[in-house]
Amino acid sequence: MFIEIKGIKRNFGEGESRVEVLKGIDLGIEKGEFCVLLGPSGSGKTTLLNILGGIDSADEGYIAIDGEKMADMNEKALTRYRRKHLGYVFQMYNLIPNLNIKENIETGAYLSENPLDVDELLKVLGLYEHRHKLPNQLSGGQQQRTAIGRAIVKNPDILLCDEPTGALDYKTSKEILKLIEEVNQKYGNTVVMVTHNDAIKHMADRVVKLHDGTIRENYKNDKKVSATELDW
Amino acid sequence: MRRNVLKRRFIRELKSEFGKYLVIFLFLIGAIGFVSGFLVASNSMLAAYEDGFAKYRVEDGNFELSSPAETELQTALIEEGVALYENFYLTEEVKETEAKLRIFKKRTEVNLICLMEGAFPEKADEIAIDRMHADNNRLSVGDSLTIGGKTLQISGLVAFSDYSALYEKASDMMFDATKFGVAVMTEEGFDGMGDTHLHYSYSWRYDTPAESDKKAGERADIVLEVLMGNGMRTGNVPVNFLPAMSNLAIQFVGDDMGRDNKMMAVFLYIIIAILAFVFAITISNTITKEALVIGTLRASGYTKGELIRHYLALPMTVVAVAAVLGNILGYTVFKEVAANMYYNSYSLPTFVTLWNADAFIRTTVIPVLLMFIINLVMLVRKLSLSPLRFIRRDLSKRKKGKAIRLNSKWSLMNRFRLRILLQNVPNYITILVGIFFANVLLLFGFVLPPLVDNYEKDITSNLIAKYQYVLKAPVETEEKSAEKYSVTALQTVKGKLKSEEVMVYGIAEGSAYVDAEFGDGVLISTAYAGKYGLSAGDEITLEESFGEQVHSFTVAGVYDYPAALAVFMEQEELNERFGFGEGYFNGYFSDRELVDFDERFLATKITADDLTKTTRQLKVSMGELMDLFLVFGVAVFLLVIYLLSKLIIEKNAQSISMTKILGYTDGEINKLYVWMTSAVVVISLIGTIPLVNYIMKYLFAAVLADYPGWLPYRVPFTAFVRMGALGILSYTVIILIQMKKVKGVSKSIALKSVE
Ligand SMILES: Nc1ncnc2c1ncn2[C@@H]1O[C@H](COP(=O)(O)OP(=O)(O)OP(=O)(O)O)[C@@H](O)[C@H]1O
Ligand SMILES: [Mg+2]
Repeated sequence: MFIEIKGIKRNFGEGESRVEVLKGIDLGIEKGEFCVLLGPSGSGKTTLLNILGGIDSADEGYIAIDGEKMADMNEKALTRYRRKHLGYVFQMYNLIPNLNIKENIETGAYLSENPLDVDELLKVLGLYEHRHKLPNQLSGGQQQRTAIGRAIVKNPDILLCDEPTGALDYKTSKEILKLIEEVNQKYGNTVVMVTHNDAIKHMADRVVKLHDGTIRENYKNDKKVSATELDW
Repeated sequence: MRRNVLKRRFIRELKSEFGKYLVIFLFLIGAIGFVSGFLVASNSMLAAYEDGFAKYRVEDGNFELSSPAETELQTALIEEGVALYENFYLTEEVKETEAKLRIFKKRTEVNLICLMEGAFPEKADEIAIDRMHADNNRLSVGDSLTIGGKTLQISGLVAFSDYSALYEKASDMMFDATKFGVAVMTEEGFDGMGDTHLHYSYSWRYDTPAESDKKAGERADIVLEVLMGNGMRTGNVPVNFLPAMSNLAIQFVGDDMGRDNKMMAVFLYIIIAILAFVFAITISNTITKEALVIGTLRASGYTKGELIRHYLALPMTVVAVAAVLGNILGYTVFKEVAANMYYNSYSLPTFVTLWNADAFIRTTVIPVLLMFIINLVMLVRKLSLSPLRFIRRDLSKRKKGKAIRLNSKWSLMNRFRLRILLQNVPNYITILVGIFFANVLLLFGFVLPPLVDNYEKDITSNLIAKYQYVLKAPVETEEKSAEKYSVTALQTVKGKLKSEEVMVYGIAEGSAYVDAEFGDGVLISTAYAGKYGLSAGDEITLEESFGEQVHSFTVAGVYDYPAALAVFMEQEELNERFGFGEGYFNGYFSDRELVDFDERFLATKITADDLTKTTRQLKVSMGELMDLFLVFGVAVFLLVIYLLSKLIIEKNAQSISMTKILGYTDGEINKLYVWMTSAVVVISLIGTIPLVNYIMKYLFAAVLADYPGWLPYRVPFTAFVRMGALGILSYTVIILIQMKKVKGVSKSIALKSVE
């Protein structure tokens, strides 16, 4: 198992206001798998993804990547882990506003020893003619493509996406999903994508449904379809 | 309802940025309080000083004769509307302090004296001395002084209306209130001191005051004419002639205080302007941060004016409250501080604190206006964008698609840094200006003391002789090391600079004291050459003090004598040129003190002490001020850099947070954000030094042009090194703060971004 999630618990707050957000999550994801994390709002999807991404930590349980336990890592080691293995895409694109599109993608490339060719990637992303613009001069979809570019340019082992299409319209959402699918197929990265759009599960290798901090469903999708065929 | 929303935001902003506002607030109080105290004290003192001219019946001029004035002279002057008053004095050395004291009789008609402490002398063995001279020599009422073999008791401390600055001679660059003082005795006591050191000095007053300086000058010329005429007839020629308008002992305080006031006001304006920019940049960042809210508010009907008022409220409140408190402190605490500073330098009469409209305008109205205008302009510009632009968070003035391109051959880190620079141009310019200004203050603190020290050393190591005597008549001495010379005083012709005294020395052939080759011309002292920018081959023209005659000389070279403006030539040539006759002399250079001639023939004795009085007094009056400059300089420096570097990090918190999530280490983030600021700080620190130095040099020369003599602007390189080192050292504290701030940026900022 490439990603091994064992008995993860996470609480927020103290005493009266204490909430158990994750109540013991067990999950395994294989290398190169496209995994979609579904669930209603507040079910703990983002919390789980953040723990997986090493920017939050679990109260109980552990996560192991390729056999290495993250709980044993200190802040420095976690930074190194993110740097080496992770790509991150958020609902809000979180681009660096004073860097142009190309430079934003380069901030990702900088972290890798063997990054993808930035100009080529810009073309793949359909951003080549916009590369000298600043993020606020682009549309939401273009900005999200930039954010994806920044995440995948370093060719990460794991690509974490937290509702990457949450702020986008139907058409643009499908373009983004197609892009992630292509990346997954072309480079073989493991993708974990959080969404509450149920339709997206059809393009996944694995579908995980969270409910109230526990896994309600976890199955392999045998009838995987291409992102272009999705409809909602 | 609406108003409440904004009001709550006001309080929230104040709370969340409490530290920042507190620092700015305290700094403003300090600056406004100090300057207002300074202006209040100096204006009140200046008023007392100016009222003093009438109140104490200050003279219109004075002169000294070689013997008492004849009645014909008096009548001749009365005919010109000039009243003459006897103002004889004794020059005595005080055994305890080794200081020179100029002692007068009690005055009743002219140049009245203000009693500061104790009482005027009543008995023959009592004396009242100048308050400042007493302070400098740690003397107080009741102490005894040994003068001319007599023991006198100090009955009181006084301020002479004609010696508000204790200048001994008109040709002194600076007065020396430690080694020179004035005193008053009863008539009986005065007469009992003998007449060995008696000077026949007279003061005059016009029956109607002169309307202008020009008129005063014309009337003084008439007095001089009468005097010279009388001198021709009787041989009683004036040895000194000094109209009040060119008497530094009387005028200096007024000039100096006026200059100080202007400087202080400018100092305050600069500080306020810098702080206003800090505020403006802060607000501008807040607006960027709150763009979405502003856009929404504007879209839902809030007017631009409402928002402008809202964003102006906080800075204006801070300045207004600081101005009120600053003024209160100014009129109480700081007024005392400033008054003491003046009392340290000048012998001024008592004063009453006056409400001062000018100070209020300068320290309150103008700063508040300055703050208002700078922030208003920024806000109007910033908020004039359409609500949509705010909602899109697109606040750049640049047109779409026109982002600056950087050469992609540069490394990402360098481009990233450059982007930070471009993003924060106003911050960095304000940092540059702040550092420039801080450097000016630091330069004052670092440069003036060594400059004065160096000058003092320069003077003492380039004395012509350990003892130098000027005689009233040629008398012989047994002393083997003594060498005769001739000297006469001429003055420069008034041009761009005021006319001032130049001593012309006639040096004996093969002199053991002045090692010089005269060739066809004369040598001029380094001080003369420095002040007038003269070198070998130049022509100089000097005029006689009380006459029309002019003398021209060719400069053959510069002689290393920094203490005063002087010309050196061959003794026989001087004797011939000025009609003294062959073999004439009127002075001695000597390695040892001369003790074997009658003191009555002695006009002056000059030692190192006399030549270094300028530097001594400068040190006394500068001392505290220099420390103050240093403290203020460092404070401005730290404040500006702290606030603005903090802003840069806060503004980019989102990006920093994101780079952290991406896997950048704190070290790498520091290399981007802290590095750029540091580069700007270090470059500004070192880069502005030459400019500041150049400006100082210029200012220095401009100020010195008003003073007689010359103090060369020579700054040891180490002063700059120390200055830069202090800047960089204090900046390291801020680097640490910045690094801590970067470390403290939470990754959740990017995660939680709800836009
Ligand atoms: N830092 C925190 N402090 C307190 N509670 C938190 C914190 N982060 C998350 N929670 C709570 O944990 C629960 C799960 O949050 P999470 O963001 O993981 O939900 P989600 O499944 O991603 O929801 P959504 O689909 O709306 O994004 C929520 O009830 C939330 O209020
Ligand atoms: Mg979520």
